[in-house]
Amino acid sequence: MEVHKVNYEVNATPTLQILTEDEIEAIYFSSLRVLEETGVRCYNPEGVDILHAHGAHVEDKNLVKVPSWMVERARSTLPKKVTVVGMPDKDGKRKYRMDLVKNSAYWGTGSDTPYTIDPYTLKRRRSTYQDVKNLAIIAEALPNIDFFMSLGITQDTAVGTYDRWQYLAMLEGTNKPINITAVDVEGLRDQLEMAYIRLGGKEEWKKAPAFSLYIEPVSPLSHDPIVIGKLLFCCDNDIPFVYTPCPQAGATAPCTLAGVLVQALTESLFGIVLSQLRKPGAQVIIGGLLSQMDMQTTVMAYGSPEMALLSAAYTDITKWLMVPMYNTSGCSDAKMFDEQAAMEATLNTFIAGLIGGNMIHDVGYIESGLTSSPDMLVASDEIIGMVKRFLQGIPVTRETVPLETIDQVGPGGHYLGTDHTLRHFKTEFWKPVLMDRLDWDRWVKAGSKPMRERVHQRVLEILQAEREPLFDEKMYKELRRICELADERHKGEEMGIGIV
Amino acid sequence: MSKILEQLATAIIEGDIDNTPKLVQKALDEGLEPLSILNDGMVMGMNEVGRRFKAGEMFVPEVLMSAEAMQAGLKILRPLLVSSGAKLLGKVIMATVQGDLHDIGKNLVGMMCEGAGFEVIDLGFDVPAERIVQAVKEHKPDIVGLSALLTTTMRQMAYTIKALEEAGLRDKVKVMVGGAPVDAEFAKKIGADGYGSNAAAGAELAKKLVGAA
Repeated sequence: MEVHKVNYEVNATPTLQILTEDEIEAIYFSSLRVLEETGVRCYNPEGVDILHAHGAHVEDKNLVKVPSWMVERARSTLPKKVTVVGMPDKDGKRKYRMDLVKNSAYWGTGSDTPYTIDPYTLKRRRSTYQDVKNLAIIAEALPNIDFFMSLGITQDTAVGTYDRWQYLAMLEGTNKPINITAVDVEGLRDQLEMAYIRLGGKEEWKKAPAFSLYIEPVSPLSHDPIVIGKLLFCCDNDIPFVYTPCPQAGATAPCTLAGVLVQALTESLFGIVLSQLRKPGAQVIIGGLLSQMDMQTTVMAYGSPEMALLSAAYTDITKWLMVPMYNTSGCSDAKMFDEQAAMEATLNTFIAGLIGGNMIHDVGYIESGLTSSPDMLVASDEIIGMVKRFLQGIPVTRETVPLETIDQVGPGGHYLGTDHTLRHFKTEFWKPVLMDRLDWDRWVKAGSKPMRERVHQRVLEILQAEREPLFDEKMYKELRRICELADERHKGEEMGIGIV
Repeated sequence: MSKILEQLATAIIEGDIDNTPKLVQKALDEGLEPLSILNDGMVMGMNEVGRRFKAGEMFVPEVLMSAEAMQAGLKILRPLLVSSGAKLLGKVIMATVQGDLHDIGKNLVGMMCEGAGFEVIDLGFDVPAERIVQAVKEHKPDIVGLSALLTTTMRQMAYTIKALEEAGLRDKVKVMVGGAPVDAEFAKKIGADGYGSNAAAGAELAKKLVGAA
């Protein structure tokens, strides 16, 4: 073995760090203090009882103060890695997999927007079952999308049971891992039942869960009774869950970004403590959509540099805590997929990738999370592609520093025909799908299409492509049956005021 | 405009909670009419706040300070105005509906309404329809403002309106609705009187509903 160098450091990937270890500790210990001294409101009596029985102080019925040692103990059983595996293909193999662990990046969509942009009319309107299915089909086709969340609420179904229909629409569109939402524990139970059916049994779920659940504390420092019910159900049934707040700096959280981090961490740590008391080893993902209230419009900003910075800083904290991170990118405050959307999504996608993931959601969001856009989703896939290339960095090896080839070509020659070029040109460069690098004449001949048109064309191509259903009619009927039974149970609650 | 009214307008613009009541008292001591103090001083200030906010020269926290100053001044003026028989903007009951803990939007609308000169009664969050009906009976407001962030809790707005109908109170109050998933079409569908897409629009709507704008 030939040794050429000693004490030689390699930077296998680019790195980004926002907070030092000292700063992370300062935030963590501040959160412990808030949890112990200020306390949080937990409106779920069962949750309060569990915490109280294990050492938390309870005042005023539901103000829960959690001593630091309870957090430390909870962390000792908290999984450092959460794995979610998608649904089986026709060959029975579950090929899509997310290993959510420190420094791994997976991108996926965001959930439950009231509106979507119609792919054919480009008009903004309430989202429907078909929209959710279409967007899942698009996500299935995009190589850089690793998981799916319902890019739109199914609002042409009953409001009180929309979640089952929404899950069915997603299952029809994609086999990728899904991060679901649920109306309540009953809705969650139904969807779990649907997953068992789709997987071919509960045993398959035990090998690896096929969905995680999205739930959130309400900032500042409040925990909804139904949400906590869902959290406990997840612990009991081996369902990983995302427990992340959406604090708005200056409105529902302190105005300073460090203050937001402290509060958000406090809110999620509460979920961690409760989950580990209910079931040691319960799988939790923390993080959130941490941003500010725009002080002119009162809108919660999704495309702001502060959002990207907060997500990155919080990722530093989750790396230190060794708990999977729920990050945010591919989203914008723009009202359509336009230049603003592209600029904001590029910045936040780049930062989310560079900081190291893990479950990076909200790809495809425009209008500050109120509208989903198929165009934004498809364009973001391209942005993620660029970012992933960047993240590969520059390996410096004898093969990549080709002294012999340089010597052969010498001054004034060219590298196009060298073996070295032939060996590397296919793998060294990222290949654009939508970005235009034509010369002027060829671009004109191709129709002089701006990015926006090329992106939209890709959306239509995906939607119009022939595709086999992901499962057979018999399976579809079984899944649909669960939705129909739920509708039956909740008949009469809608008062004829369906949203669409 | 007299100097004291000018000072009062400035105190409102600057959100000066300490000085506003003092200036109101001083104006009264100087013999000015309560209605003039309100309209020619405080409301002038608040109008300028509205203009600056729209122009991007003032921001939400500053506007809310102005609203607080407005309320601090009104605390002194309101009883005098009432006894003089002057027409006040009226009362607004605000609530985030049952099942929903998200109340920042409702709080913002409430504060903006206070800034506009309304008296605001905040019932908080997770408020069942029955409690709203009860509060309407008790406080006899001109307007009920309902807020929801979730599509699942949006239905509670419809339930609440229905409960007001059943209690025979629907024609006694105007109902305005808001929240991220709510829109004008939904408001119409459930029989609300109006929808505001943001806090400032909510306060504007409230004024319109009482015929003051």
